[in-house]
Amino acid sequence: MTGLSDDILDLASDYVLGLMPESEARLFEEIIERDPELARLVGALRDQLLPLDLSAPPQDLSDGFVARVQAGLETDKQAHSVAEPETDMSPRSANSNRAPSGSVLGLIAAAVVGLAVGFGAGWLRPLPEPQVIAVLLDDQGVPQAVVEDYGNDTASVRFVADIDVPADRSLQVWTLPSPEIGATSLGVLDRTAPTRLSFEDLPGPTAQQLYEVTLEPAGGSPTGRPTGPIIGKGFAAPQV
Amino acid sequence: MSDDDTGQDRAAQLRQALADCAAGREGGIAAILEIEGRQLLGVAQRMLSRRDLAEEALQDAMVQVWRKAANLRPDGGSARGWIYAILRNRCLNILRDGRRLAILPPADLALVQEARQQIVPEENWEILSGPGKLRQCLGGLDGQSRQVILLAYVAGFSHGEIAARQNMPLGTAKSLIRRGLSALKECLS
Repeated sequence: MTGLSDDILDLASDYVLGLMPESEARLFEEIIERDPELARLVGALRDQLLPLDLSAPPQDLSDGFVARVQAGLETDKQAHSVAEPETDMSPRSANSNRAPSGSVLGLIAAAVVGLAVGFGAGWLRPLPEPQVIAVLLDDQGVPQAVVEDYGNDTASVRFVADIDVPADRSLQVWTLPSPEIGATSLGVLDRTAPTRLSFEDLPGPTAQQLYEVTLEPAGGSPTGRPTGPIIGKGFAAPQV
Repeated sequence: MSDDDTGQDRAAQLRQALADCAAGREGGIAAILEIEGRQLLGVAQRMLSRRDLAEEALQDAMVQVWRKAANLRPDGGSARGWIYAILRNRCLNILRDGRRLAILPPADLALVQEARQQIVPEENWEILSGPGKLRQCLGGLDGQSRQVILLAYVAGFSHGEIAARQNMPLGTAKSLIRRGLSALKECLS
């Protein structure tokens, strides 16, 4: 028996069969990473269907192919040392005109929470349940990041797209608790690793509160307000 | 050495190769290509039908494996299944990236599309599934369910493409695929 909903099982089937649009698949992978039961289910289905892949006639690799791949890794390492690479072949650019449908996004956002109860990155440390979750979309409607606000002056941000952060730029996470308080920084990041954010003295998050990530000068906005291009923005969905 | 021993041996080698990747040792990728490279390229070639695109997909996949190996969950199925899934996703990205395929000359694009139509034959589908339980369970499905599952997994068709190809409404295609896969999972479990 499984504790996963039929909706999630259907999404898992679509995911393994390759029927999920890339932007949704990225989010779904986020859920898989957080839920051991779903990870096992997806892994088992993959392994069961693997004979289909093994039935393809093998093809000899070209001379020098392995060396070319390894040279590519070398470039990748260097690119990583200064910025997240975004090649033209990335899934995001491949699908930037295809936003996930609202219902699936909602379902996935709900699933992120439903499955996240208790455990976060590393599976070792129980996390409090977030009070709100915001999926931040770019201007094409493609998910870029997910912010979870725990309501006790901590939040987490995870990126679900490849985002190019030039060496002289930082990412900055913002929220707008109210028009009176104005845009308030939740933290500055130099790369797109999942990050816990701690801040001070903000009122608890509310439904429809705005969250956004902008690209700012290295170290964060010089004015204390967002100045750079918006990477993604979204509104809080209450979870409790 | 029995097939099982070979399989266990390969599984251990792949796990070690992924551990090497996670630790930043490039030999890990070379080891994966040594063990699985020919078969991986075969999968990409079958789906993309062009050698240059297949090699591009495999190269992209190895970069992804390299980047993601450290995040691999031990309970998420076999290393082998994970690597093939990454490759298939790269192939799908190429197939579904309109701009990517648009740079091909029209005649070449037509050939790619034409070849995809032939990947899943109505008759003699058994060649796609290898021996074993999967073949038996696929054989137990009704022909239409089997066909749509193979079109998705083996040829990389989208819901919309499958509906158009099978001449049925999108919703019908989706539910046919889900019902078929659910019956398949039942049989495999």
